[in-house]
Formats: sequence, C-alpha cells, structure tokens
Amino acid sequence: MSVSAQTDIAAVKERNRALIQEVLEVYPEKTAKRRAKHLNVHEEGKSDCGVKSNIKSIPGVMTIRGCAYAGSKGVVWGPIKDMIHISHGPVGCGQYSWAARRNYYIGTTGIDTFVTMQFTSDFQEKDIVFGGDKKLAKIMDEIEQLFPLNKGITVQSECPIGLIGDDIEAVSKAKSKEYGGKTIVPVRCEGFRGVSQSLGHHIANDAVRDWVFDKMGDKPAAFEQTPYDVAIIGDYNIGGDAWSSRILLEEMGLRVVAQWSGDGSIAELEATPKAKLNVLHCYRSMNYISRHMEEKYGIPWVEYNFFGPSKIEESLRKIASFFDDKIKEGAEAVIAKYKPLMEAVIAKYKPRLEGKKVMLYVGGLRPRHVIGAYEDLGMEVVGTGYEFGHNDDYQRTAQHDVKDGTLIYDDVTGYEFEKFVEKIQPDLVGSGIKEKYVFQKMGVPFRQMHSWDYSGPYHGYDGFAIFARDMDMAINAPVWKMAPTPWKQEPEEYAIAAE
Amino acid sequence: MPQNANQVLDHFELFRGPEYQDMLARKKAEFENHVGDDKVAEVREWAKTEEYKDLNFAREALTINPAKACQPLGAVFVAVGFEQTIPFVHGSQGCVAYYRSHFSRHFKEPTSCVSSSMTEDAAVFGGLNNMIDGLANTYSMYKPKMIAVSTTCMAEVIGDDLNAFIKTAKEKGSVPAEYDVPFAHTPAFVGSHVTGYDNAMKGVLEHFWDGKAGTVDKLVRVPNGKINFLGGFDGYTVGNLREIKRIFDLMKVEYTILGDTSDVWDTPTDGEFRMYDGGTTLEDAANAVHARATISMQEYCTEKTLPWIAGHGQETVAFNHPVGVEGTDRFIMEVARLAGVEIPDELARERGRLVDAIADSNAHIHGKKFAIYGDPDLCYGLAQFLMELGAEPTHVLATNGNKAWEKKMQALFDSSPFGTNCKVYPGKDLWHMRSLLFTDPVDFLIGNTYGKYLERDTGTPLIRIGFPIFDRHHKHRYPVWGYQGGLNVLVTILDRIFEHIDATTNVPSKTDYSYDIIR
Amino acid sequence: MSLRQIAFYGKGGIGKSTTSQNTLAALSDLGQRILIVGCDPKADSTRLMLHAKAQDTILSLAAEAGSVEDLELEDVMKIGYKDIRCVESGGPEPGVGCAGRGVITSINFLEENGAYDDIDYVSYDVLGDVVCGGFAMPIRENKAHEIYIVMSGEMMAMYAANNISKGILKYANSGGVRLGGLVCNERQTDKELELAENLAKKLGTTLIHFVPRDNIVQHAELRRMTVIEYAPDSKQAQEYRDLALKIHNNAGKGIIPTPITMDELEDMLMEHGILATVDESQVGKSAAELAVG
Repeated sequence: MSVSAQTDIAAVKERNRALIQEVLEVYPEKTAKRRAKHLNVHEEGKSDCGVKSNIKSIPGVMTIRGCAYAGSKGVVWGPIKDMIHISHGPVGCGQYSWAARRNYYIGTTGIDTFVTMQFTSDFQEKDIVFGGDKKLAKIMDEIEQLFPLNKGITVQSECPIGLIGDDIEAVSKAKSKEYGGKTIVPVRCEGFRGVSQSLGHHIANDAVRDWVFDKMGDKPAAFEQTPYDVAIIGDYNIGGDAWSSRILLEEMGLRVVAQWSGDGSIAELEATPKAKLNVLHCYRSMNYISRHMEEKYGIPWVEYNFFGPSKIEESLRKIASFFDDKIKEGAEAVIAKYKPLMEAVIAKYKPRLEGKKVMLYVGGLRPRHVIGAYEDLGMEVVGTGYEFGHNDDYQRTAQHDVKDGTLIYDDVTGYEFEKFVEKIQPDLVGSGIKEKYVFQKMGVPFRQMHSWDYSGPYHGYDGFAIFARDMDMAINAPVWKMAPTPWKQEPEEYAIAAE
Repeated sequence: MPQNANQVLDHFELFRGPEYQDMLARKKAEFENHVGDDKVAEVREWAKTEEYKDLNFAREALTINPAKACQPLGAVFVAVGFEQTIPFVHGSQGCVAYYRSHFSRHFKEPTSCVSSSMTEDAAVFGGLNNMIDGLANTYSMYKPKMIAVSTTCMAEVIGDDLNAFIKTAKEKGSVPAEYDVPFAHTPAFVGSHVTGYDNAMKGVLEHFWDGKAGTVDKLVRVPNGKINFLGGFDGYTVGNLREIKRIFDLMKVEYTILGDTSDVWDTPTDGEFRMYDGGTTLEDAANAVHARATISMQEYCTEKTLPWIAGHGQETVAFNHPVGVEGTDRFIMEVARLAGVEIPDELARERGRLVDAIADSNAHIHGKKFAIYGDPDLCYGLAQFLMELGAEPTHVLATNGNKAWEKKMQALFDSSPFGTNCKVYPGKDLWHMRSLLFTDPVDFLIGNTYGKYLERDTGTPLIRIGFPIFDRHHKHRYPVWGYQGGLNVLVTILDRIFEHIDATTNVPSKTDYSYDIIR
Repeated sequence: MSLRQIAFYGKGGIGKSTTSQNTLAALSDLGQRILIVGCDPKADSTRLMLHAKAQDTILSLAAEAGSVEDLELEDVMKIGYKDIRCVESGGPEPGVGCAGRGVITSINFLEENGAYDDIDYVSYDVLGDVVCGGFAMPIRENKAHEIYIVMSGEMMAMYAANNISKGILKYANSGGVRLGGLVCNERQTDKELELAENLAKKLGTTLIHFVPRDNIVQHAELRRMTVIEYAPDSKQAQEYRDLALKIHNNAGKGIIPTPITMDELEDMLMEHGILATVDESQVGKSAAELAVG
C-alpha cells in the first residue's frame, strides 16, 4: 500500500470519526451515550467492528427495525408454501406483510400453496377480553374444511397473544391429534419479544425443532438418499434467489433435498435431517437450526456466499471440500462454465461502475455478503451496518469483508443515516423501502437490498448479471443529473453539471 | 445457459427456460411430496362451486385476505397531514416499520414515523419510560412542531394511559410543558384504519379546541365564514386534496383542510429530503373551531369526529366519497350553500364536460356488471357512479363496513333500477369475493392491488381503484373527486374495458373480426 | 352540583361490593341519583340492587352481538333499588383473556353512550388490587375523583390498601385522582380500629368509617338485598347511612396518599403487637425445626 493511500485512509477515518461525533450531538445526553456504542470506524486487524449490537432500540429515534413476528412469519415460516400460516391477533401485522417479501414459489395459490395469502384471526375486542383460544380452534377447523390440501398450519403470534395469556400450544396439540397427527406449529413470536426481527428467527427455528423435527420421530426418509444430498438453508428465494443458487449446486453434482424456506415445503423441512451437508446462506436467521441439526443429527453445515463471482467461486470450492473428487471436479466445471459469462458481465459493467462508492444498511446478512459482488464490479463499500445483526455478524464482517476505515452503524436511526449519506455523498445507497425515497429525494441513487427493488434474482452467476445491470441502471440513470433545479444552482456548478 | 451479459434476463424470463423448468419439475417430483396435479385440479374446480361458496360463507372465525388494515395506520395518516408533525406510535416498534413501508409502497414517498419501541419489560411494567425517553428523543432529533401520539395493540392490552403518560413526560422535561402532543388511543382490535383516522383526527382537534388536555382554557367559538374539510383516509389524497383546493379557490370559499397530506406525500426530487412538507398549520387547526361548517368527504372515517364537531356548534355535512356527477353535484351545491357563495360557471362547464364524456362512452359500460370492494365510503361513491353509467354494482364488499353502511348501500341500490340485482357484503373478505366471482360472475372487478389475485384466479379483469395500489405507479397523484376526478375514474374504467375487449378479440381468423380500430 | 365520581377498591373478599352497595343505597335514600359500574369480572357489584344473581354484562353482550359498537345503553343498564342504575362490565372466566382490557372497553362504551348524563354519583366497584393498566382505568383523568379503600385489620387487606394507594399516587399528579379515605370492614382482628386509624394516618388520610360486623348483613345478602332495604331500621343500616353521609360530605377533601414501604407496614403491625417481633435467626424454619431448636 502506498504512503498516499495510507494517508487517504487516515483522512477517511478522521472524517468518519468526526461525522459520528457530529451526529451524536443531536441527541439528549443519555441517548448520545447509548448510540455512541453502535457507531464506529472499522480498524483493520480488529476481530469485530467495534460496535455493540442486538440491543434494544431507543424509543423515539426512528429505528428501521421490525419485530419478532416479522422475523418468524415474514422471514422464516411465511415462505413454506404448502402450510397455512395464521397471523394470530389483530388484522394489521398480516396485512402489512401480505405478499410483500417476494418469496417466489411454484404452486396453485389457494389450493395447494398459500404463501401470498393473508390468513388472520382478525382479533376483535371480545377476543382480547375473553381470550382467543376457542376462536383459534375454530379457525383450524375452517382451514381444514376450505383448504383440504394444506399440509400443516402454523400459528404466528402477534403481541396480544402473549399479553392475554392464550394457550396456543394446547390448541395446536389438540387439533393436531384430532387431525391425525397433522403438523400444527404454535410460534411465540409476539412482536414485543426481543429487540428486532432477530429473536423471531430464533423462535421460528426453535419451533421447527420442537414441532416438526421432534414430532416426526424416526420416520424414514421419503426419498432415496445419496451421498450428495445437501439442503439450502437460509435462502428465502427473493425474486428466485434460491433457484439460481440451486441450479449451481445441482450442476456441480449435488442433490438439493430441501430449500429453507423459499419455495420450501413441509416435506423438505422433514427431509433435512437426512442431508449430508447443510449449506447456510443467511447465517443470522438460520444458524440456530443448523447448529441443532449438527448436534442432534451430526450434519455439518457450511456458510457460503453466492453474491458475485469471487465469492461464488470461493463458496463452490468450500462446499465441494465436504465431498469427494467428483464433486470437487464438478465445482471446477461449474466455475469454468460460467467464467465467460462473468467476464462478459464485468467487461460490460465495470467500466461504468469502477470507483463508485456504496453505503449499505440491510438486515442480518447482506451488509457483508454483497460487498464482494460490488468489489467484483470495481465498486467500494464505504459504510455498512446491520438492522438486527449480532456480534458474530460483526466479527465475520470485520474479518472477511469490510475495508479499513469503513463507517459502521448498527441499528442506525433515520437521522444518523440521512446525515451520514449527506456528508459522505456515496454514489449508491442500498437499503430498504423506508429509506429508498429519502435518499432518492436527495438525488442519491438507491437500490432496495431486501426486495431487490422488485428485480432479481441476485444470487448465483445468473443473478450476478442482473445485480450488475441493476446497479448500473441505478447509478447511471439520467434522472439524477436532473435533480438539481438548474436556475437555482451556482453558475459554475451548472456548467459542470451540464457538460 | 440462459443468461447473457448483453441481454440480461431477470425473473420475468430467466426461469422459463428448460434448465430451470427441469430443475423445478424435479424438485416437485422428488422432494415436495406433492399431492399430484389431478388432485389439485379437482380441488381447484370444487373451490368454484356453490357448495364451496356456502362453506366459505359459513366461516365464523377465520379471515382470509381482508380488505382492511388496523387503526394506527389511520392515525399515522392523520398525523403527517399537520405542519411539521411527526406521528409517534406508542407500543411495539415492528408496527411502525410496517406502517412506514405500507405507505411508502403506495405513495412511493418516504413516511416518517417513530415508535416508543416497547419490549417485554415494558409489557410487564408499562410503557411510561418509553414515552418519557421517546418524546425527548423525537423532539430533539427531528425538531417537529407537534408530536401526535397513537397506540399499538400492545399498549392497549396492557392499558397504558396516554394522557397521564404524556403529562408525566412533560413534567420530566421530555418536551416543554406547552408543547403540542395530541393523542388518541387506537386499539388495532377495534374497527380498522378508518376508525384510526377518526380517533386520531378527533384527538388532534380535541387537543386544540378543548384546552390541550386541561392545560389551557377551551377555545370559545367565534363563528366566521370558513369551511373545514376532512378528506378521510384516502389513497388519492395527493390528487384529491389539490383538486378540492382548486375547486374551493374557484368558488372563492374560505377553507381549512384538516390534515393536508398533499405535499408531504408528493415531495420533489431536487436534492433535498423534506421530512415535513406542507400540512395544516397548527394555528389553522386551532382556528378551525370558529368555522361555519365542517364537511367530511367520508362519513365512515369520521363517525366520531363529525358529531363531536357538531357539538361545538358547527353545521356538519358528510358525504360518502362522492365520485361522478350526482355525488359531485351534491358536494358542490352543499359547499355553495354552506359558504354562501355562487357556483362559478367554470364548474358548470367542467360538469358538462364530464356528462359529455359519459354520453360519449357509456355504451361500453351500460349493463356491465361490476364487483367492488374497498373502504365503505369509496365503495358507496363508486357504486353510485357506476349506476349513473348504467352499470350494475353487483357485489359491493367492505371488510370494514358496518351495519349502518349496509343499510345505506341497500338504500342506494333501491334508488335505481340498476341496483335491483345488487348485494352488499359488510364484514366479508376477498376470499368471500372469490367465491362470488365464481358462482355469480361479473364483467369487471374494482379494487386495490390485492385484487390481482382475484383477477388471476377468476379471470375477472381488475380495475385498480382503492388503497393500497402497490403495482401501478402514481395513481395517487390523480384526483377521483370533483368533475375532473370523475373523468379520471371514467377513463380508468374505460381503458380497462377496451384493453379487455382487444385482448379477447385478437385471435387471427377466429375472433379478430371484432378487433376494431374504432370503438 | 357537579357529578361525583367515586370508586371502591380493596382486597378481594373484603366485603367491598356489600359495603359499596349498602352505602350507595343509603346515598340514594338521601335523594342522590346513582350509577354503579361494576368493574369485576365476577359481575357481583350490583346484585343486591337488582335482587339478581348476576346481570348481563357489557362484555358478554358485546361478545354475543359481535362488538361493543353493536350495543345500546339500554341493553346493558338495569334499574335497581330506588332507581339506581346498574351496569356490570363483566369479563372472562379466570385464567383466560384480559379482564383489564374489559374494564377499559366498558368504561369507554359508557362514556360514549352518555351513561353519565343526569346522575349525581357514579361509583366504580373494582376488583381487588390495581393489578394492571386496565384496572387503573377508573382512576384515570376524568374518571373517579375519589377512591375509597375498603380494608380490615388483616395484614393482607392492609397490604392491599397500601398498594392501591401506590396506584392512586401514580395517577394523582397527572390525572387529579385523590384518596377519599379508608373504610374498615370489621373482621374482629386484634386492635383493628387502632390499626386502621394508624394506617390511615400513615397514608395521609383518615379512617372515614369503621363498619362493625353484624350478621344481619349476611341475612340480607342471602335475600340478595342490602341491609338498607332488608332492615332499614336496624343498627347496621344506620352505620351505612352514617358512612354514606360522611362520603357525601367528603367532596373535595381527598388527598394524595403517601404509601409506605413493606418494612414500614410490618413495623407498624409489630408496633401494635399483631406481628411478633421475629428473631431473624428463626426465619425460614419450620415449626418442627423450631421445636427442636
């Protein structure tokens, strides 16, 4: 590294530190003290990013986080396509999350699959006062009658359920027995539990353990096992992500017996304890069940990253290392097969994106996982943070992904994020729907990195081409040049903008 | 390999090729334990029958695909309509993330709103500390002129008392004692988002008119000639409020829009993010007590607010989201009467143009059957307009419609021969609608974005009018009120009808004799 | 005269409903127009007025009708002894649902439907302790102005009285609710009157009345009547009339209570010799162990 580059980094660090101090000034003293722990500048060689995480959000600051219900119904359980997921409580939670997450699936909706439907117990005052257990039991009967091909039911608890002390476990057990051992899963993911979506993931994982794995006993595998059986864990098939991942695993000679949970089915969940390896994409939301399967069934698990050719290549080899030469050769063949495509994509887009600076703020995986893909395109991630990451996420980020001097912001507030972007002036911000229009108004190109801005898939080789196209489309759209009103600009500035 | 750097395929086409199709077929055959296509076909057909419909309508406990949201959403809608006001929702934080996302997906605009982020400890000990810290933080960070507080169901179940909490927070110095913090309890398990609008609007006005929670004297009404206008919860609020202002200006009516969201949900992209923009000033909100009258555009959004305003001595008039000629006529004439102004000739000409457009086009709509769902007032306004066009609003469904609404809709049907075969469905959901569209089919369906699932399953062409509209852009910028708004609705309906006619007459040598160039 | 809004709180089983109904019956004899709002899921706050086992509650009727919006005031309001208006909030069976929310629902319903028009007194009869936000509903701003705590010389009753005072204190500054006084319902425990007076003093209030124990109360109760109605000339009826008059004359005399700590409460009991001074070394030992020791 040249001396000047080092000086640059020192200057960036200094600027970032000053920036952190500046935003903290707006807070009352107590809040400033608490927020200071969540903001930092990454120092190369440190084992984590030097921020506190997975702590309660501060009231009134406009956190971007959601709740445990969102983590369970919205993320983990919702995509299981042949089960019916009841949003149990008042109507809102299910309504706002209805079909909003783009978990693609194949099926006849309303007949054999139910992902893009909103089943709710639509709690009324009387259900709060008198309790909702009888209503829940009746709901299950009505589901059985109207949707005979459903393969199971989950009860996704909203806040009031835990507060009024309903016994959804008892109702689930009784109904499961009545329906011949049908899978019925009560999930205690009330929104007030925990500090973010994250606890909802954990609770949902535990519910799979307790109400799917533990109930199926020693049922033999419903399929013929092979030495190459793997399960995709933690891919929600946003815009088809799991499909453009699965195809690579199959091409290298592996057999994917289950997808968790995008385009997933209850049969696939039940098949997973028979897999030889669990490949884990979203560590944050599904490490719990992966660890459980390792302990209980002896299935190893490996984290991988299918964003961008560098990380995909590394991941394919890492996955292959768990298998014999046939698979290792298969991995090499896959890498070679897609090399020309990747070269073509990079040749096309890198010149248009080289040197562009990106700031990210996403959920529990992408704040680090997509960095490689940006770097493949010659772009630089200058700031990143997690909505609901834990310290192990920040460790992984520090050790593998971010560069020296990167600005780190955990559970960022609306105010902080706005100020950071305003001062750093990145070429692109990647975050969610609530943030999108804030930054676009500021004239900063933006891509939603939860929903892929209704595009995708972004995983795998096929996905990277789309990722590159979309980032180019965002950054190089003519619209951003038009944002400033020409007659309101300084004459010089206008001349530059007009060139 | 289907992917290509020069012609990048995304989800629309990528998965249609043989590589992916084979892969997905194998997944289904080997791992999904699928019940079989024949069985699926059998159940799919059964779900279209009268028998299924009867079972479906016998549902007592389960709600499937409702057309309503919860109270706090309406409260947030109200709050952002006041000058530099931030909505503060007391309860779990996930709810606020949902409201913000929901509005942003509809308006394609930012929506600022904060939460008191109550967690498990607050569930046990109450959320007073969350209120104290939350108000202090919001106040110092976002420098609002007003913080409008509402509640999630969590705070309601544990029984937090907003009035007492806000007072205590002020005593603790979270915000200055005289600072405006109106509030409304908005339990999600009562009513819907329209109820939340009602409670929150009443909460704001009560604050300003009735002595700011006992801290100052109540305002004494000194009647002036102004007219207050309440739009209700409205997905077209941006276009509608601008149109209403234009009409009032034309009529030379002095008015106050209470809850003016037309700027905050339509800010320019010019390099500056405006967290606040426009809105009813707090002075105007207070002075609205002196108005001669208050108009509510949506009766069922103001069931409590309007009688409460009447109790302050104002004349009040409620409409049911008037769309089209007669509804707008009544609205304009009432405004003229209340404000004591003449109706300018320009409006008569606008009216004439709408009638002209109907005369030109109604042949394509006359006799067609429509199913409508949405909020109660919107349903009423649209049904009335359809009947003016000679169409039959065969099924009219509002998940949040009550008994009074049912009666009112029936009276509308009874008022016209086009209503003879029409039926109203209060408290039903879109799964009920699905059965109706199979057993008693109509020509077109009017509803929000979720109606596209009904369009897919039943083949009934969807005309998107309502809230939310996520999958079409910028509709909220165009009014549906006033004669101009009526014209917009007419064109929206006609466009879909013509598209449908074209799409069903374009098979060469089979149906394309009707693929006319002039319609 | 403006509307007097009072509430009776107290430990479960203390005779709160009996005391409140007798007192209110006596108040109505003074010509006061009264509304009783029972806020106990057991719905037994008005049975002596109505000679009924239990009346239809707001919440059970609302559950039947669909929602509380579907009810009319006359559906839930019964007229009892001397035209006293009676409503019961009702609530769930023990162990399910949220009784506290039920109280909120019911009071909101009554206010919105004008139940408080044309009366002189509204009296809330509230279950046991202020266990959650819902049961504090009657002491929120613009609800009950004066709280009367029914207690006795038993330790748990005094403990509850102290706790209820804490609840009142919480709302006193923001809402204006005040403690009207203590009513001691005699249990014939040792030094009961002395203790009750002392507790009242500590809480900064007064023992507004000491109601002696008399079996005639049970006789009346068996007939689902107040003593005022069953035996108007009895001595006990006069006690309730005295209490009623004291409450009637107590308007505006409520105070912000000064609840004490558990330790202070125990000290007080020891002071009066109710609780023996306990040797710390004996704490946690069974009778058998102590005998051996």
